[in-house]
Amino acid sequence: MSDTKPPLAPSVVHAPASHWYRAIVAGAAILAVFVAAPIFGSAYMVQLVTDILIFTALAYGWNLISGFTGYLSFGQVSFYGVGAYATGVMVVHMPIPWYLAVCAGGVLAMLVAVLIGPIMLRVRGILFALSMFGLARIFAVLFSDWDYAGGGNGLTLPAELTPVGVYVFAGLLALAGFSLNAWFARSGFGLDAMGIREDENAAAAVGVPTTRVKVAAFALSGVLAGLAGGLVAWNRSYIDPPSMFDPTIDLQTVVFVLFGGMGTIWGPLIGTVILTVVGEQLLVHFPNLELALYGLVVIVTVLLLPGGIVSLVNRWGWLPRPIVLAPRALPFGEPPPPRAAPPEPSVPVLAVDGLGVRFGGLVALDGVSFHIAPGETVAIIGANGAGKTTLFNAITGFVPPTHGDIRLRGRSVARLPAFRRARDGMARTFQIPRLMRPMTVWENVLAAARHGRQGHRAVAQAAWAVHTVGLADLWLAPVSQLSPGHQRRLEFGRVLALDPDLVLLDEVMAGMTKDEQEEMRAVIRHLHGFGVSAVAMVEHVIAAIADLSDRMIVLDFGRKIAEGTPDEVLRDPAVIRAYLGEPQ
Amino acid sequence: MLLLQLLVDGILLGGTYVLLAQSLNLIFGVMGVVNLAHGSFIVLAGLFTVWFAAHVAISPLLAIPIAFVVLYAVGAALQPVLLEPLMGLGMQQAELLSLMITFGLDYVLIELGLQVFGSNYVSLPYLQSTWTLGGITVGKSLLVAGVIAGAVALALSLWLNRTGFGKSLLAASQSETGAVSVGINVRLVRLVAFAVGVGLAGVAGTLLILVEPMAAETADNFTILAFVLVALGGLGDYRGVAIASVLLGIAQSAVGFYLGGDAENVLPYVLLILFMAVWPQRFRRAA
Repeated sequence: MSDTKPPLAPSVVHAPASHWYRAIVAGAAILAVFVAAPIFGSAYMVQLVTDILIFTALAYGWNLISGFTGYLSFGQVSFYGVGAYATGVMVVHMPIPWYLAVCAGGVLAMLVAVLIGPIMLRVRGILFALSMFGLARIFAVLFSDWDYAGGGNGLTLPAELTPVGVYVFAGLLALAGFSLNAWFARSGFGLDAMGIREDENAAAAVGVPTTRVKVAAFALSGVLAGLAGGLVAWNRSYIDPPSMFDPTIDLQTVVFVLFGGMGTIWGPLIGTVILTVVGEQLLVHFPNLELALYGLVVIVTVLLLPGGIVSLVNRWGWLPRPIVLAPRALPFGEPPPPRAAPPEPSVPVLAVDGLGVRFGGLVALDGVSFHIAPGETVAIIGANGAGKTTLFNAITGFVPPTHGDIRLRGRSVARLPAFRRARDGMARTFQIPRLMRPMTVWENVLAAARHGRQGHRAVAQAAWAVHTVGLADLWLAPVSQLSPGHQRRLEFGRVLALDPDLVLLDEVMAGMTKDEQEEMRAVIRHLHGFGVSAVAMVEHVIAAIADLSDRMIVLDFGRKIAEGTPDEVLRDPAVIRAYLGEPQ
Repeated sequence: MLLLQLLVDGILLGGTYVLLAQSLNLIFGVMGVVNLAHGSFIVLAGLFTVWFAAHVAISPLLAIPIAFVVLYAVGAALQPVLLEPLMGLGMQQAELLSLMITFGLDYVLIELGLQVFGSNYVSLPYLQSTWTLGGITVGKSLLVAGVIAGAVALALSLWLNRTGFGKSLLAASQSETGAVSVGINVRLVRLVAFAVGVGLAGVAGTLLILVEPMAAETADNFTILAFVLVALGGLGDYRGVAIASVLLGIAQSAVGFYLGGDAENVLPYVLLILFMAVWPQRFRRAA
């Protein structure tokens, strides 16, 4: 799979030196402002900085779920309001100090996120966005009917003045938000989240427990919003449903992060500070135009600078995105350790029994059964619409089977989620490589190597896979700059990094030139040498795979119509009919 | 008899919903964009109707063509600037950015409504009397609004299915590539779809104000309502959406009668989350 023209000469082969001293300077400057404001500034100044800090925390919370994980939320105010009400109710009805009440509010918001997360996070995009918005409206109605919490009249908290306490708490909260975001940007967990953002199914296919990661990101974003709400409740001494579940708080949060840069470490802080300070000035001149102003900023930012301020300063090399867990230079790495011999070597690697898949009234697969023994390469062929890709999707866990069973090394996996099957030894490719496009080669491979392995082992295995597929020179290149051939290689690197027992290749040769097909064939022949026990291929180009496969299985309209050696199958009259139609 | 009463009210309420949902459906179907500013167009038209009735003092129903023409023009002016630039991007990117843009636009329009018409809830005292027929009492305003909105929605579906341009709109919503390859000007189709969708949102607003009070800040309730109907009825499925509208109208009348106004208002939100819990595949296709 070598490309005659490499798409780019990699300018960076070593990971960029970390600019930790810059971070220290920036941190010191922020700390100086934080300390100086209450000493030299007026009470107004302290309140302004407090508001900025609280909004920074909200913005960082939103960035976790929407910026890093890709689930656009228009209802963070649900958590904000729950935190505010928990704090308010506790302070009014129980003898506990305000800061503990605020913390309890944060915990409660997190619990809400954990409870509703598995439902809300099922479908991303507009559905998640609007469901979150709707959730906030539901909460607003529930709280206005709850008399213990003041009902529609709101709740008045004891008006104790603790500006310094609130100020410090807000500072710590913003710092916690920043730290969580920095952790997301640099850690394996964050890599999982970003994998979900880029392509959820592809992430599951390399072993990312998508639901768990999403719910965790959601819960963390909920804690930040809940704590922010609790702090605001205490600071204002009065809460009511309209102001605590106010959708314009979400508008502001979205504007701040978008303007600063979504999915970046510094974006939420930059956006919040600039827009709050500029907004204060503008609103003096144009009072009551807050909503229109923020709305316009959203529109203009999306149209002109969708990456926000951070993408602008990136052009001068400032605030670069850290590359997740990248060593200073690519190590040689180690291949995966040899797999322990299976207890019963004769058990098929993959056994499919009477598999059926139905989409509504359409029968896509009907009672398909076959086995793949250790050491075998099996091709699954059939005309368009025969059900080949559906078969792979059912085997790998992306389509629920309506009946039948799938066993991997004798163990049924038909009810396991896709990521489990990937960890248990199934690796697949997609018809069009589905990679994390803005991320580097390194991160794409590491994402697959990480699961079920300790950190240093994962790094070694990822490095080995990058070398093995010949992308060592491009290890820090973003996928979007790779040629299609290199992307295919990277996809194989990801497969190898998983250290799979069974590899499923979905039309890897479609659209390839003869030369490219030849290289791909060599790769497939080599797969068994990398600890892969069995290979299943779905293919359209029969000539290219006939001599690679030990056996062929032919599907037609969702049924298996033939199985045998390539010679037998290609002479089978039923197969010829299925491909060429009835003789006239 | 009570059930029959609730049924009649519900069907008429559903009639007003059909138009609001189909106008969103049209934009969603052709452009793949959920217009989060939909509700603010509706509310602006509703508030305008109240102003119109108070100051121009002819029948408020004359506001219908005015709202349509003005908002059609607004839609036609906004679409090339705000949404057309996003159309070349990948699906996921386009969805994200179009949500953001229309979210921003929503608040610009809400602020516009607040500045021009104020922040109070307003309603339109028009056709306040009722007709009683065989024990069933029907508010004239609800009857007029439900019937006209249903008729306009029917006209929309006739336009889509019977005329050449309407068919090219439907074609573009089924497959953009297919539409391009048979020589349809997809850019123009998208522009007209958005403009007609926004114009019809205006018509829906002038009719909805007859049956429920509005304030600038209630705009998002209508957006959500329209979206829930489209999601339940099925993307691009005009018949499904019509059925969903009538069913939701009936459900809301019943819930409002038995559980009160708050429950009636949050019903669409609850349905949205409930369906997400039990039937997410349906939404996945629509999303």
